[in-house]
Amino acid sequence: MKATRFVHERVNMDNDSNSEDEELQEALAAGIVKPGLIVEEQRKTFLNNKEGLKDKFKEFSLDSLKWIERLELTNDPAPTLGINETDGDKLQNDDFNRELTFYKQAQATVLEGLARLAKLSVPTKRPEDYFAEMAKSDDHMKKVRAKLLEKKTSLEKSEKAKKLREMKKYGKKAQQEVLQKRQKEKKEMLESVKKFRKGQIDKINLFDEPIERQPKQQQQLKGKQQFTPNKRREFKNKKFGFGGQKKRSKYNTADSAADLRDFSARKAHGKGPANKKFQGKSQGKRPGKSKRKVMKNKRK
Amino acid sequence: MAKRKLIADAVNGPKGKKVKKDIILQPVVSSDDPIPRQIKWTNKQRTLIFSSRGISYRTRHLMIDLRTLMPHSKPEPKMDRKDKLFIINEICEMKNCNKCLYFEGKKKQDVYLWASNVPKGPSVKFLVENIHTMSELKLTGNCLKGSRPLLSFDKAFSSEPHWQLLKELFVQIFGTPNHHPKSQPFTDHVFTFSIQDNRIWFRNYQILAEDGSLAEIGPRFVLNPIRIFAGSFGGATLYQNPNYISPNDFRRALRRQKADKYSHRVDTKISQQLRKPEFSYQMDPTDEVFNTISENDVKRK
Repeated sequence: MKATRFVHERVNMDNDSNSEDEELQEALAAGIVKPGLIVEEQRKTFLNNKEGLKDKFKEFSLDSLKWIERLELTNDPAPTLGINETDGDKLQNDDFNRELTFYKQAQATVLEGLARLAKLSVPTKRPEDYFAEMAKSDDHMKKVRAKLLEKKTSLEKSEKAKKLREMKKYGKKAQQEVLQKRQKEKKEMLESVKKFRKGQIDKINLFDEPIERQPKQQQQLKGKQQFTPNKRREFKNKKFGFGGQKKRSKYNTADSAADLRDFSARKAHGKGPANKKFQGKSQGKRPGKSKRKVMKNKRK
Repeated sequence: MAKRKLIADAVNGPKGKKVKKDIILQPVVSSDDPIPRQIKWTNKQRTLIFSSRGISYRTRHLMIDLRTLMPHSKPEPKMDRKDKLFIINEICEMKNCNKCLYFEGKKKQDVYLWASNVPKGPSVKFLVENIHTMSELKLTGNCLKGSRPLLSFDKAFSSEPHWQLLKELFVQIFGTPNHHPKSQPFTDHVFTFSIQDNRIWFRNYQILAEDGSLAEIGPRFVLNPIRIFAGSFGGATLYQNPNYISPNDFRRALRRQKADKYSHRVDTKISQQLRKPEFSYQMDPTDEVFNTISENDVKRK
């Protein structure tokens, strides 16, 4: 790459002038210039006529005037504690620190300037009852104040909201803990009740009331008094009923009278069985009692 | 004590008979009794503040702000852009002004400021950047209309001749003369000129209390000096800022950067391929002869 660029340069040089080219060749041979480094640069010259500037300064300056006429001060920024100084190069892009240096410079000027003015007994403080037109109108200042207030309130609001959010987060956690605790208590209680029932423990606390197990003999007596029927009796009770009124149990009721499931017109008029299925093969033949019963049950 | 007096004398100039005539006000003056009129008004600076046609609203507001803050300023209708600048000297003469601030708007976005000492010069042309006007609500300070400002300068202003010259010019233009009839007799704000990044940053602070607590009043702007001329609105160039990049060039560079995005990518790809070597490292194949296999290697396999 370097070589090709050099060739390019050479070609350009040939077009320009031969004498320069020769000089360049000599320089190359001597090793002063290295190939690839020859780039023609357009250098602009910037004027800075220091003598002229100084003369002009002397010509028009009003240094001879008293300080009170000029009120000009040259200061370094006032020193502050606690704020780390940043480099001058970085300042231009660091809004906060840049403005701070300006502020500090103004501060230094104010401190020195006011002292000087006081020495010259020039008033600096405006009396309370001195009213004059201000640079910014009252309307404008009202707006400024409103804006400041708005900013303050919005900040407060957001802070409050933040706090509330945090509280909520914390509250949720607390509630969860409470729920878990309650569940645990319930579980423990149930377990203790179970144990109590099984007879593993003799004493439990139910709703802050201690319950003690009663003596065993009483329980046994109680058990003897209780009557439990055997299985057979139970079934029979279920089948035929146990206790209660037996009178009028076979009477027709409105429901039973309205029940027409068993009714068949054919059968009622003496024209064979109710179902056509049985018409051919079993005409006039009545099935046995048990069969009839089964059939009846099936139909139901 | 004597020494101190001597120093004070050196600072304030010799105390002659004229000084004794000067009416000295009390630090706190009640408004009931009339303020004694000052007859002395020696430093008669008058600044003409006006602009060309085609300035933006922001520049116009800045100009108005400067007029309200400087009681020694005079207004003038906008000047037609086509006119030559040396006409301004005549305008100043007609308006009885010996200083001039002339805002020049170009392309409806760039603002240039001429600050000049009429009629003998010097004059300076600045590019004005980052304008914030006094009407912005974040600037909370306020001051009397026409009170005299303290002028605060960075130490860097005494480093180079051109900065010195600029400082003197600013003092004469922005400083309100003592006993100016329109001025107020109190000092309640500071104009700050600081040099940062080869530019002059202007700030205006209100003095809230004597202990040095301040509040910004505005306006804010940054002056980037371009040239200093020996005459007023013309003449030989005394200084040229080598760091100045015209806004046109800057914008062009930005646009070009955008346009070159694709070609840059292609170029980098090609150059990457060219730079990539075929072998990462040249190994001797016969070296592998000495690689012996241990028992552990076999077990692992």
